[in-house]
Amino acid sequence: MNSLDRRQLLVSGAVTALLAGRGAWAQVPGTFRIGALNPITGSGANFGSGMQKSILFAAEEVNAAGGAAGRKLEVFAEDDQTSPNAAVLAAKKLLEVHRVQAILGTWASGVSLAVLPMTNAAGAILMHTSGAVALADPKINAKKLAFRYQGSSKHLSRAFSTAAKKEGLQRPAVMALNNPALAPHAEGFRKVWEAGGGKLTEFLLYEPGRPSYRSELQQVLRSKPDGIILSAYVADATAIVRDWAQLGTPMKWIIPGFGANVDFIKGVTSEVAEGIVVVESVVNERSSAYARFSRQYALSMKQAPENNVYAAMCYDMVQVLALAIEAAGPGADAVAVAAKVREVTTGKGQPVGSFEEGKKLLMQKKAINYEGASSAIDFDDENDVDPTFSAFVIRAGKWQRTYAINGA
Amino acid sequence: MEAYLLAIFITALVYVLLTLGLNFQYGFTGLINFGYVGFFALGAYASAICTARLGWPAWSGFLLGMVVPFFLAWPLGRIALRLRDDYLAIVTLGFSEVVRLVIINEKQLTNGGQGIAGVPKLFEFGGAGLGGDALLAAVLLLACTAVAWLVRCVVKSPYGRLIQAIRDDETALLALGKNPARFKTQVLMLGGAIAGLAGSFYAHYIGYVTPDQFLPIVTFQVWMAMIMGGVGRLRGAVAGAFLLLLVLEGSRAVRDLLPGLPEVAMSSIRLAVIGVALILFIRFRPQGLWGAPRD
Amino acid sequence: MDLIWSDYANLALNGLAEGLLMALPALAVTLVFGVARFPNAAVGDFVSLGSFGALAAHRASGGSTLAAALGGIGAGAAGTWLGWRLAFRPLLGRKGLAMLLTSIGVGFVLRAAMGLGLGHEIQLFDLPLLKAWRWGPLIMNPLDVLVGAMALVCVALVFALLRFTSVGRTMRAIADDMDLARVVGIDSRAAMARMWVLSGVVCGVAGLALGLKTQVSPEAGADVLLPAFAAAVVGGLGNPLGAVLGAVCLGILQELSTPFVGFTYKIALSYVAMLLVLLWRPQGLFGRVQGVR
Repeated sequence: MNSLDRRQLLVSGAVTALLAGRGAWAQVPGTFRIGALNPITGSGANFGSGMQKSILFAAEEVNAAGGAAGRKLEVFAEDDQTSPNAAVLAAKKLLEVHRVQAILGTWASGVSLAVLPMTNAAGAILMHTSGAVALADPKINAKKLAFRYQGSSKHLSRAFSTAAKKEGLQRPAVMALNNPALAPHAEGFRKVWEAGGGKLTEFLLYEPGRPSYRSELQQVLRSKPDGIILSAYVADATAIVRDWAQLGTPMKWIIPGFGANVDFIKGVTSEVAEGIVVVESVVNERSSAYARFSRQYALSMKQAPENNVYAAMCYDMVQVLALAIEAAGPGADAVAVAAKVREVTTGKGQPVGSFEEGKKLLMQKKAINYEGASSAIDFDDENDVDPTFSAFVIRAGKWQRTYAINGA
Repeated sequence: MEAYLLAIFITALVYVLLTLGLNFQYGFTGLINFGYVGFFALGAYASAICTARLGWPAWSGFLLGMVVPFFLAWPLGRIALRLRDDYLAIVTLGFSEVVRLVIINEKQLTNGGQGIAGVPKLFEFGGAGLGGDALLAAVLLLACTAVAWLVRCVVKSPYGRLIQAIRDDETALLALGKNPARFKTQVLMLGGAIAGLAGSFYAHYIGYVTPDQFLPIVTFQVWMAMIMGGVGRLRGAVAGAFLLLLVLEGSRAVRDLLPGLPEVAMSSIRLAVIGVALILFIRFRPQGLWGAPRD
Repeated sequence: MDLIWSDYANLALNGLAEGLLMALPALAVTLVFGVARFPNAAVGDFVSLGSFGALAAHRASGGSTLAAALGGIGAGAAGTWLGWRLAFRPLLGRKGLAMLLTSIGVGFVLRAAMGLGLGHEIQLFDLPLLKAWRWGPLIMNPLDVLVGAMALVCVALVFALLRFTSVGRTMRAIADDMDLARVVGIDSRAAMARMWVLSGVVCGVAGLALGLKTQVSPEAGADVLLPAFAAAVVGGLGNPLGAVLGAVCLGILQELSTPFVGFTYKIALSYVAMLLVLLWRPQGLFGRVQGVR
């Protein structure tokens, strides 16, 4: 046992030395500390960097406007590697070492589900963009400290179901990638569709990383559907739709926005993509918040902000948090701040599009309703936002908006 | 700070259990198991299903988590006897993938690719659960000690000397009238049960299990821990596991020291470090840091 | 719903296409095994490397498949040759397990290097869309035919090399019996180096094929490693013809099984089939009897 203790001491000593070296954790008094825990690596990597940058520049905006209730925002950034294991350790570091009072921007459902018990235990706020319905479960979100900024699987499924009905589908089939992000959408769609009295001709989940999805596609086509809901990423969506195009069977496709982007259209060619319906949760394009966010995003990331709706959600998370801190008054803890979140975003207050605007009105003791970049940010009883979706149709290689789903 | 180090310590102890088990299988008998993560997954899912899906008490999950891998290792053992090392390596790799595919497909039982959430913590008390975590670490430490002691007893026993003899010269054994087949299988089964135990602890600690947490790379990480620490040495197993954690979690600290490094590069750098460590250790120090000089 | 004979025939054709695609990485695995006596776990990552080389050449040449093949071959061969010089040659004479673990390390390093140097975004080949070919109810994808033809040509060339050239004869000699070959005066090191390069060439073509059918990314090749292993094992490690036949058989078997086991378990079928073959014939279907157990 001696050698074990010695070695363990050595190792933890080494780790401590490494970690303490920076001194970056001298805790500045009078700040509200935020953890930005995002999927910089792993399957969410496409969005993670943008999400983290958005949190950072949103915090800078808030601080430039004088901070919230006399406190500046201090952000500590970590990578959750889109993995619950890594996320647990990162969240521990944020909560215990950096003593953050809120964690923002977890993306994968597995990560949020693993982190939520930890933030609950620490009395910290969690704002996430994950879809799992379980996250809103009153048993799991008992303290109401977690807030969801994206449509839950429920909302997404309903959106697709509405689109399918609007497109006149009577005998749709569902094809989806079997992974924790996309399979739930497919299952949710089936539930909603069948609850509405409809039937599916085929429900097929295919495994990732296969060289070909021919057999899978042929099985779906054998059931003679009049439309296919395809929940897939760009690579497999391209492969499947190309395969279908070569068969020449007329078919209506409904695909989520992340699967049917410009690369997809290029991959399947504009002729083939013509008429494909795309359903996408849209940002709140007419809001001033979106204008500010997209300008800053394009500057920092040198990328089009349209491709990263999650980054817009993260931007809103910071603005909302700051407004709630301001409303809760000086010295409020995370729990008190959480109680103010719905007050500043939902209800009959005056609409505002930025922290600066909202702060002014709050100082005059007026009620506000923050309208965000990603959506109007109105939380329901389960702390879920009611997102806006739109249906588009691909014409001449571009998305053209056809109709809105679920409100504004 | 303490809670963070405690979290790392707990994760390291789970890997210590895994390394002890693999060390037992390979280090003492030379059985090449590249599907070790399969047993880990079985233990984790057994605990998750028993507690989160069926509402049974935690010990039922632990029991099943050890029994299922124990018995499932038996057919694998019988197969191992008939195959050459290289074939065995590939077959065991296939085994862990089949386990994963079964987990993905049997949605009724395992919730498929979406995983099982809400696996309860074993102990829940103390500020922000710190007390519970500390108790968990203590229990894990006890488990590691118990397993290490058990393995030590087996190794030192006449039975154990026999096992080591298998590693050294099988034909001689056969000439003596001893059949190595049964012993190899038993070692495989015990090693599997140890991995299952680690899996149960892991499920209760993270609280959420998905098939993606049980990919072959975990097996390779445990192999690396075993090689770094020293094959065939208990001390080596412990040290190797902690070293592995240093590599995996240390990258987070590296970013604090070198803020200019782009975060996206970190996953590649982590992978490169594991790869280079494997290559260098095999080439220059195959017996590991604490291993016996011979190999 | 009930399937008719043509549905099964189409499934078999899909399986044939997939099997031909897997034949190349399986061949790469078995070539290395025949001479260096270990299963090379870095094959998947060499295939990824090959696909990047092919993509670059394809774009640079404005869409020429031939250029892409050369690009892939160049990248694959360079990769394996470097791997040989830096990692595998210094370990000559060590046990198979040491080489296997080293190959795992080499694969990781290669994947990390591609991730750092070329980025993680998934890239696709720019391909024109062609109508499927139909013979009655049977359907064939022109891309599958192209990939299959590439695989067959590559395999045929490799066989011809092994059979009819002195270089190939030397390789077969050291595969059969390294010590005897040396006694006879064959420079085993040079022959080994050539075998590694040949394996890299095959990985390069496999990379092009995989890239055309699926995508190009640092992680894409790793998905073919296990099926390649399974195919090589079924055919008998060290037997090039066996690897190709093994891949084709497993591919067809896999697709034909889908109406019965579903699309998730069909993947498990390769491993189960591999296991059954080994239980019945521990040296694989066409493997050699010596040195098995």
